[in-house]
Amino acid sequence: LAGPPSPPGQDPRGWRAAVDCVRANELCAAEPSCSSRYRTLRQCLAGRDRNTMLANKECQAALEVLQESPLYDCRCKRGMKKELQCLQIYWSIHLGLTEGEEFYEASPYEPVTSRLSDIFRLASIFSGMDPATNSKSNHCLDAAKACNLNDNCKRLRSGYISTCSKEVSATEHCSRRKCHKALRQFFDRVPSEYTYRLLFCSCKDQACAERRRQTIVPSCSYEEKEKPNCLDLRNTCRTDHLCRSRLADFHTNCQASFQSLTSCPGDNYQACLGSYAGLIGFDMTPNYVNASTTSITISPWCSCKGSGNMEEECEKFLRDFTENPCLRNAIQAFGNGTDVNLSP
Amino acid sequence: AAAFGLYFPRKEYSENVYIDQPAGTPLLRIHTLRDSHGEVAHFHLCQNLIISRARSHENHWFQIREKTGLLYLSKSLDREDFNMLSVGNWMPLSKVMLYVFLSSHPFQEKECDSATRTTVVLSLMNATAPACSSLTARQLCFTEMDLSFHIKENKPPGTFHQLQLPSVHHLCQNLSISYDLLAAEGMPFRYNENTTGVSVTQRLDREERERYELIAKCTVREGFREMQVEVPFLVNVLDEDDSPPFLPNGTDTAEAVVEFNRKEGTVLATLTVYDADTTPIYPLESSRKKYTGSIITDDPWISETFRVEHIFDEIHFSPNGSQVRGTQHEYKLVLNKSISVTEHRSFQLDVLVNDTEFPGPERSVMLHFNVSILPVSIQFPNMTYQFTVNRNAERFAQIGKICIENCMKFRGVNISYKLLSPNVSCYPVSILQGREGKWGSLYVNDSSVLRRPECKEIQYTIQATDKQSRKHTKTLLTIVLEGTLLKKEEDCPDSCAVSKHRAECEECGGLGVLTGRCQWRQGSGKGITTNYSTCTPSIKTCPDGTCDVIESKDPAVCPQDCTSGNIIGGHGKGTGNLGIKSGHGICYCFPRQNCYCEKDDIKEQLCDEMCKTVI
Repeated sequence: LAGPPSPPGQDPRGWRAAVDCVRANELCAAEPSCSSRYRTLRQCLAGRDRNTMLANKECQAALEVLQESPLYDCRCKRGMKKELQCLQIYWSIHLGLTEGEEFYEASPYEPVTSRLSDIFRLASIFSGMDPATNSKSNHCLDAAKACNLNDNCKRLRSGYISTCSKEVSATEHCSRRKCHKALRQFFDRVPSEYTYRLLFCSCKDQACAERRRQTIVPSCSYEEKEKPNCLDLRNTCRTDHLCRSRLADFHTNCQASFQSLTSCPGDNYQACLGSYAGLIGFDMTPNYVNASTTSITISPWCSCKGSGNMEEECEKFLRDFTENPCLRNAIQAFGNGTDVNLSP
Repeated sequence: AAAFGLYFPRKEYSENVYIDQPAGTPLLRIHTLRDSHGEVAHFHLCQNLIISRARSHENHWFQIREKTGLLYLSKSLDREDFNMLSVGNWMPLSKVMLYVFLSSHPFQEKECDSATRTTVVLSLMNATAPACSSLTARQLCFTEMDLSFHIKENKPPGTFHQLQLPSVHHLCQNLSISYDLLAAEGMPFRYNENTTGVSVTQRLDREERERYELIAKCTVREGFREMQVEVPFLVNVLDEDDSPPFLPNGTDTAEAVVEFNRKEGTVLATLTVYDADTTPIYPLESSRKKYTGSIITDDPWISETFRVEHIFDEIHFSPNGSQVRGTQHEYKLVLNKSISVTEHRSFQLDVLVNDTEFPGPERSVMLHFNVSILPVSIQFPNMTYQFTVNRNAERFAQIGKICIENCMKFRGVNISYKLLSPNVSCYPVSILQGREGKWGSLYVNDSSVLRRPECKEIQYTIQATDKQSRKHTKTLLTIVLEGTLLKKEEDCPDSCAVSKHRAECEECGGLGVLTGRCQWRQGSGKGITTNYSTCTPSIKTCPDGTCDVIESKDPAVCPQDCTSGNIIGGHGKGTGNLGIKSGHGICYCFPRQNCYCEKDDIKEQLCDEMCKTVI
């Protein structure tokens, strides 16, 4: 089992404290040798894979010099200022260093150190009751009420709901692009003690589960006429820096592992739920597939039909959503108001 | 086909590495399968260990036996090595990756770009190797990775996996660990007890069966204790293009008739072709290139006017009880441009479907479309139109529709209607083009003419013209004015929609009324409903959920269908955010401003029983 989360600023494994890539880029630009090597490397990486790049002496030299620069270990923060710019810098170095298409990519985001219990503490302050106590209530309805009592949450929630249910024309029943943007704003700018309660509330009856499924206005943000193939959808997502980063973050924090009690990396539920919520509003938007109260099934809007010889890979990708013990445990733990007890 | 066909039956292998494991410790064994008899596999590692995306390190520790594929430690990893390799890994578990390459001839120096490679993921365990007694049976028997393999169809048999874990076998020599493979009767796999190797015993055919589910069983004996572990063992059969296209029930001909629907993009006919092979929809473009459908013609008019659209979908065959994926290709004959109403011809159009990767003469199928393009005539039904108009009608009152024969069936034919003005001064009506250019709508354009006594019966000529071919036709239209003039009410608004109550609604006129008075629509009054109460110039056309051409001429005619402003109260908006689709109670509007939907206050009885008796 992993140890307790270390305080920020001091890293648990002995690597340099991470600088964000925007800052790292500024530091590099101020230093002539670094900035010229960075330019060289970017030219080297343009449209080439790692092996052809490393075959070139000049490129190799640039890479070696940059290994010592802050650009090399830089990361980004979710919802930071200039997040997109930060991710562009990150991928400008990392994209060319892939060995072809990897199944799992490492997250460009800083590791999450906060815990679910922190959220519960906050949540119980404003709700005035422990979420686990009252068994007769509809948690999803309570979550909506709690959101409406907070100006910021109410504003952004009604913002995305009206955007996502606004009909554009007889043929186009809503603007998916605007709806996704509004959803991203909601999940980026509203504190997670509100957003998680809406997304991951636990349900005992169908009406509640249907409300939970409807949280992200799936008719606009999730469902489409056709279900694309999951690998195709993944490819579409990977052409976009933000979507690619959020997907890599999901894979990093929700990848089921046998090494831990909870099946989650580092037993961190909070990190997995956060990266799940971070996918909402992109091509890879996940949602509950039905209003079942007994089993929670999550999936992006895609299927493995038509995978040809890649069916194994496609199903593996889809299972990380539909049959993921880490994600399932994390959602249930949030719904029950329990977190992993970490021995101090 | 590739230059050589050796391939790995797995995409990825994994194993744990511990601190200070001695040099010579075997880690895992990698197998390959052959494409043709006589191929010999040579394994080879590349120079670098991949630590994370951006970091790699020269490999000093791992080597692979070129002939057998056994990966082993050539140098012990001490704590310092571990710390160095863990840098940049921010996952709870440090991992390094190695690529194993494959060739059918002995490796030359630095050959690291062979396409055939597999990945080995080594988890760096931050501890010395555990004692055998501390390992669970599951850990002694199998790695964490699923036992899932892929074998190409139509390839020679061979051994593709070894159940025994070399690292455990090396570490725990005094434990007895034996394996077995549980397979249903007749499965083409064999387990060799001496080597713990699993081999495929015959060429597989994906079109017969594409998935085999077996169970690997492991028994650990320690003195008198015996533990058993069972895990699924899956084999997927990979497809290659070894089936030609075929036609369901031999249907290779379809009729394609072009008559009223002449619009670009119309699907005229569809023919289906089946193939027992799979066709991946990802990546789409390569599959499109692989399976082609092209019109065979040297007539430029045909190739300009028609195109073939190809869509394909996965279907399932059941050859012998097991489900096998196949493909259904649909070839649709589509109009590439709108066809003129005068066009008249018929011919056979041939489409050649080609499964380009199938090795054999049956790779193509010819599809035939019997195309008949019929002309359509632009003519009015053989009668003259006659409409009566009430003298009290207001501007924008809708009188009726003008439509040539079959006009509602037309698609892609644009008809314009025109009134040829009569040689009289009475000229109250105009015509507007309905949506989609199918019909014309007659409406009152100048209501003052209706009030003039000398105008009684007016004769017009209507002309309908097809925009594309300029063909036109004419007919007569008679407008009869009737009714006696009503006195205009004072201080009535010019829009019916402003009225909130039935009484004021029915005693006023407004834009668009037919008989001088607005009409009241009484709704059902159940919550927010499409059937809300409202005041309208004509119940037939407003509100009907569409903002038609005449209503859109002036926002005062029917804001219930056309408003784009705010609606206050319980409501649902109409299509394109125009109009009030549903409302609560009574909906009324101030044109160019807001609309309101509200429940009318319940009128109390002026005097109840009690009060009457008192009086």
